[in-house]
Amino acid sequence: MPFELGIYHFGELTASPVTGRSASPAHRLRELIEQARLADEVGLSVFAVGEHHRHDFVVSAPAVVLAAMAEQTSRITLSSAVTVLSSDDPVRVAEQFGTLDLISGGRAEIIAGRGSYTESFPLFGYDLGAYHDLFAEKIELLVKIQREDPVTWTGRLRPPLKDAEIAPRPARPIPIWVGVGGTPASVIRAARLGLPMALGILGGAVDGFKPFVEAYRQAGEEYGTNPDELAVSVNSPGFVARTSQAARDISYPYFAAGMMDNFHQRGRGVTMPRRAYDAASSPGGALFVGSPQEIIDKILRQHEAFAHRRILVQLGYGNVPQRETLEAIELMGTEILPGLRRELGQHEGISA
Amino acid sequence: MSTAGISALRVVTVNGSYSTSSKTGALLELVTDTLADRLAIEVTRIELADLRDEFATALAPEDTGPRARAALDALAPADLVIAGTPVFKGSYSGLFKHFFDLLDVYDLATKPVLLVATGGSERHALVIEHALRPLFGFFQAQTAPVGIYVAAGDFDGTLVLNPEVHARIEIAVDDLVPVLELRRHHALGTT
Repeated sequence: MPFELGIYHFGELTASPVTGRSASPAHRLRELIEQARLADEVGLSVFAVGEHHRHDFVVSAPAVVLAAMAEQTSRITLSSAVTVLSSDDPVRVAEQFGTLDLISGGRAEIIAGRGSYTESFPLFGYDLGAYHDLFAEKIELLVKIQREDPVTWTGRLRPPLKDAEIAPRPARPIPIWVGVGGTPASVIRAARLGLPMALGILGGAVDGFKPFVEAYRQAGEEYGTNPDELAVSVNSPGFVARTSQAARDISYPYFAAGMMDNFHQRGRGVTMPRRAYDAASSPGGALFVGSPQEIIDKILRQHEAFAHRRILVQLGYGNVPQRETLEAIELMGTEILPGLRRELGQHEGISA
Repeated sequence: MSTAGISALRVVTVNGSYSTSSKTGALLELVTDTLADRLAIEVTRIELADLRDEFATALAPEDTGPRARAALDALAPADLVIAGTPVFKGSYSGLFKHFFDLLDVYDLATKPVLLVATGGSERHALVIEHALRPLFGFFQAQTAPVGIYVAAGDFDGTLVLNPEVHARIEIAVDDLVPVLELRRHHALGTT
């Protein structure tokens, strides 16, 4: 399988640091769909959207947004980054993504995670205290639904299922990745279930998660999981432009604005200084900000440490304007992906 | 680096590291760069490893060599002291403690002091509260409320990668700015 390069987006509605205005939710959704269309056109592998339940993000229903994207794309995998499975019903998630899979001709995928926000728990009547147990039980059920039909299942936190028909069935079992943010137990669980692991790396050193990758592969071996099932994806913020300087200059103000909205201390947003952004974008840092060649070099450096199969870039966090974002997508498809596959000795053929 | 000016604040950094290209030194520089974004400062950097021949075996201030003497003398007139050390065997380095042992007991009285430390892992983070703050409490210094501890994993070489560290430095420095401005006004007789 050739190395995959894709994009994920939360659909944040951060006010522009330049104009002071936020895009309307409708406008942001159109922008996301346009981004997915171009990503498909230039041959990128995956477009994923997050799931948040609050007014500063536009996507709470990923499958609905992905279905709209499905109609405008033909090859790209449509995924969720992440589906907040702890506060959702695996049956409903399976139905929605099963539907998406049929609409898109077998392109649906789920990255299931525990989420980093808490709003969805009271919203859907779940106890935040059971955060860990909810995910553990639901991921097992979601996997079981993919593998069995009808489904019989008993757990502690959801009513049992007896010969339940869960429809529609997708064209094939939907690939499920486990989103991991840095909890060792999540890594071990993914290995035990034989599920690929999507590592959310939001900062630190570019190879800082190496112990997690090693623990994942080692646990997989101990559980007797087929090594082919133990794929690793890196999910990290980034931005690309023609030159190193332009990538940083264009994306920094938006990234800082996004951080200010999302990162609080003493009850107020915390600034991300430019020098912190530049450090994180340096060759040893975890952000994928730079020229196409810089991004290629960093992915290759990370590949030496992780031997991962894909990278998804959270492109232009904080809402870099659409024009620059589309240019970045173009560069990802026309320069970064072919460059990467060449360096990795893989044919440039598109996975279809 | 120094931003000299008629009203530049005198900032003295003390680096207790034994290595010349140290994480502690890089961190001290990051802190003074951040401070320089906000105020005109003039920085004097004291690298204890470079001065070791002049004070490491001294049992009293008068036994020190001229450069070590000048370093000790630089502290009393400073507007701000930024004291940085790596964690050695659970605490500040020996050179760091010995340097301050040679300082006059009242040279730091009421002086703003920002506490900075680096260590091999997060396990040593309380060195700021359990080792450094009592030392400067003895000197009756005004230690800044937020100290800066950075673990080796937050660095790539001497470059600080972790944005949370940058954010913490911003907070520590922002807390100090009004204190330092007040000192300057007093010195200029403008309040």
